[in-house]
Amino acid sequence: MAPKRRPEMSQVSSNGHNEFVFGEKGGRGKNLLSFLKNLSLTGPLLNSHKNDNSEEINRNINSSIYGEMTYGYTSPDTGGLILPKAAASLKGKRLSLLSFFPYGLSKIDTTDGSGTQSNNGGSSRLASPLFRHATNSMSALEASLRPSSRKSGFTDLDDDWDAQIDDVDPEVAPVVLKPVARSSTNDMIDLLHPDLMAFAPSLRISVERKPSQRHPSRDRALMDSHDRQAEQEVRFLNQMLTKLTKFQNILLKNDGTIDLHELRKLSWNGVPAELRASVWQLLVGYLPANKSRQASNLMRKRSEYAEGLKNVSTQILFKDDNVISSTANSSAASVPGGRDSNNRDNSVNKDKALYHQIKIDVKRTNPSMPLYSLAATQQSLKKILYLWAVRHPASGYVQGINDLCTPFYQIFLGNYIWQLQRKAAHKTGAPDDSPLFIPGILDDNDTQEQLILEDPKLMTYTAENFDPSRISDRVTAIIEADTYWCLARLLENITDNYINEQPGIHRQVSDLRNLILKIDPELLQHFEAEGIEFIQFLFRWMNCLLMREVSVGLIIRMWDTYLSETPLGFNLFHVYVCAAFLIKFSAELKEKDFQDILLFLQNPPTANWTEKDIEVMLSEAFIWQSLYVNKGAHLR
Amino acid sequence: MSFAPSTTSVKLVLLGEAAVGKSSLVLRFVSNDFQENKEPTIGAAFLTQKCTVGDRTIKYEIWDTAGQERFASLAPMYYRNAQAALVVYDITKPASFIKARHWVKELHEQASKDITIALVGNKYDLVADDNDSDDSLRKVSMEEGKALAEEEGLLFFETSAKSSHNVNEVFVAIGSKIPEAKPVTEELGSRPGNVGRIDLSGPALRSNLSDCAC
Ligand SMILES: Nc1nc2c(ncn2[C@@H]2O[C@H](COP(=O)(O)OP(=O)(O)OP(=O)(O)O)[C@@H](O)[C@H]2O)c(=O)[nH]1
Ligand SMILES: [Mg+2]
Repeated sequence: MAPKRRPEMSQVSSNGHNEFVFGEKGGRGKNLLSFLKNLSLTGPLLNSHKNDNSEEINRNINSSIYGEMTYGYTSPDTGGLILPKAAASLKGKRLSLLSFFPYGLSKIDTTDGSGTQSNNGGSSRLASPLFRHATNSMSALEASLRPSSRKSGFTDLDDDWDAQIDDVDPEVAPVVLKPVARSSTNDMIDLLHPDLMAFAPSLRISVERKPSQRHPSRDRALMDSHDRQAEQEVRFLNQMLTKLTKFQNILLKNDGTIDLHELRKLSWNGVPAELRASVWQLLVGYLPANKSRQASNLMRKRSEYAEGLKNVSTQILFKDDNVISSTANSSAASVPGGRDSNNRDNSVNKDKALYHQIKIDVKRTNPSMPLYSLAATQQSLKKILYLWAVRHPASGYVQGINDLCTPFYQIFLGNYIWQLQRKAAHKTGAPDDSPLFIPGILDDNDTQEQLILEDPKLMTYTAENFDPSRISDRVTAIIEADTYWCLARLLENITDNYINEQPGIHRQVSDLRNLILKIDPELLQHFEAEGIEFIQFLFRWMNCLLMREVSVGLIIRMWDTYLSETPLGFNLFHVYVCAAFLIKFSAELKEKDFQDILLFLQNPPTANWTEKDIEVMLSEAFIWQSLYVNKGAHLR
Repeated sequence: MSFAPSTTSVKLVLLGEAAVGKSSLVLRFVSNDFQENKEPTIGAAFLTQKCTVGDRTIKYEIWDTAGQERFASLAPMYYRNAQAALVVYDITKPASFIKARHWVKELHEQASKDITIALVGNKYDLVADDNDSDDSLRKVSMEEGKALAEEEGLLFFETSAKSSHNVNEVFVAIGSKIPEAKPVTEELGSRPGNVGRIDLSGPALRSNLSDCAC
């Protein structure tokens, strides 16, 4: 389903620049470059096309930034511009491309000055998640800007049309963007894209510049850093869009079988959030690549989970906080002393102990994330972990496995919310995204689903602000089943880590030690001089796959890569990642003594890490793996 | 920070069933803090804290081990050179008391001969108000605890990491039972775990000695 090319944009050369011009051939619209300049968003991407000869660059710019989108712009008459609220609330310091391109630009094409609807199936399906992403990232950025920028002359415009951008440097920003009349904009949004109306309150924003009363030099300094940030966002947006298209192409391929090899290659570098659930399920081999088998396979697996749960539920009633065991009752009634009843007692006690352990750990799982303190979440995790433990007696439940099921749970919950959002959007005219849905989840007869669909706040939900108790039992069971099977696949990759004596972990630790000996012998020497034993800090890195050292969001990014490795990267590849992680701190560690090394490594400073840091680490790990393992490591 | 005549490093290990409150006790001792839902410990966690006992400063190097059975094979690594151990149980969980017995036995058999052991019944706050009535949450009586401690020659305390009841007292009591060890010398290259091991990096310490209500 290749997106249509956008023909509406042409380039003209003036003032020694190539400038993007909106409008049908010849019909001159607004000058994007000057507009962007005004917003101080001109970066290499926009400047790079100076070189007229370079068709390559032009093509790239066209397709990567704009190719999948049409241009959103309000009438040249008014010169107004539609921006989501998040961007405007930055007061024009840095109106983010990220926040309005995928949205406004994909939705609105007003080349004739009045606004005509452009229907671009390839891109608009993605508008909503992108918007969400943008909004999220914008509010984070907004928060970071807050101290310097909060009050001065800015009014939040929930009830007012004019966002005044008061601190754009006048020299940098000579163009005045005038306000758009309220009614016309609202109507236009309505006309252009009905599903935008969900956001209408946040869209009624236009931009006006007032002469700055602020310190010019300080503003300039701010602008510089904002420039850089904006530039990064443009680049990020480009990457994201190209990536999304590539994933869609793989997932929606018509011949009915998804090319897993291609998918792995692509996913190794990160999976777009909205497609992550299905991609992960494909990568672990839970969702079949053959599309005709997907629905039936999932159905079978999900009912297997339900069956399994029914069997253990006769022993443990999850609804009850106490362990109520039917076998316990019967054995209590039976004559004591017989060998059989002893065995049964033992096994009942074991079940009780197991359930107790899981119960106390689920309560203590991910305490920093509100989602995990909700009763519904805890209930689901208990079931998943308990069933896995009784069905894998060689290892049973081991602390740390509770951590490992959270990324799956969270992603699959988020995916359900996303499906609902796209379904709701489709009802109001957005393109149909159902070909990208994991089958069997949505159901028109599900009354709880209908309730959520009607929730006016639906579009604002994510796995992090939604209470899963609102989900029907049917869908809860599906999310649990999917989590269960994916967790089981992951754990198959590292069974030795959790069986008696945990030999897998000890092997990983000694592998890593050997690796450090090759890569950074001074560090090893220093550790030995200080009496550090690798197991003292590595045990947890292995047992919990760095989930205690790195935030869940980044762990999820890491798993994109782990899941793309063959075999899965949780075992062999993880050792290289841990090596890269350790060596990242090598210089600091060499300055520290025994106790400071341990204190440091127990709480490594990753709080400010971004996906970039993770990706660098993964690349290093990849290089070392290729260097030190003879086999042809992986498919990149 | 006053200059104590000598500083003794004491390697201390915590053992006990999962979720009895080992990490919570350490958190109380080291940071005077309590968290309702602390993550389970994996493997073991290392912490330090200083404490004044009489005219001595004791620096505890604490290994807080994980309680789950599966991790038990790691425990010897941590109690091997320990001079002190806290064996912790939860006074509302009888099974945890049985486990505590096992740990005491194992320590007597495997750990260093002169190890100082304190038996600690935690979560005292849960029973502080009721007088051992029949429906009390208390499942292990104070007498049972005392009896085991006497039998095995252990220090004994009932504590609450939550209310901080008796927490510092445990560490002070251990400190005063630890034989006057080699005083701190500037001997370089001393190995961790050695009695005389010094910490020259003051800033790393989370708190001053004054934190410790000794
Ligand atoms: N009421 C009460 N709760 C406590 C007390 N100490 C710990 N807890 C709670 O008991 C639970 C387990 O505490 P932890 O300190 O994590 O237990 P642990 O022994 O370190 O557990 P593992 O690391 O799994 O071996 C947590 O929810 C604590 O909040 C206490 O003194 N009183
Ligand atoms: Mg603990």
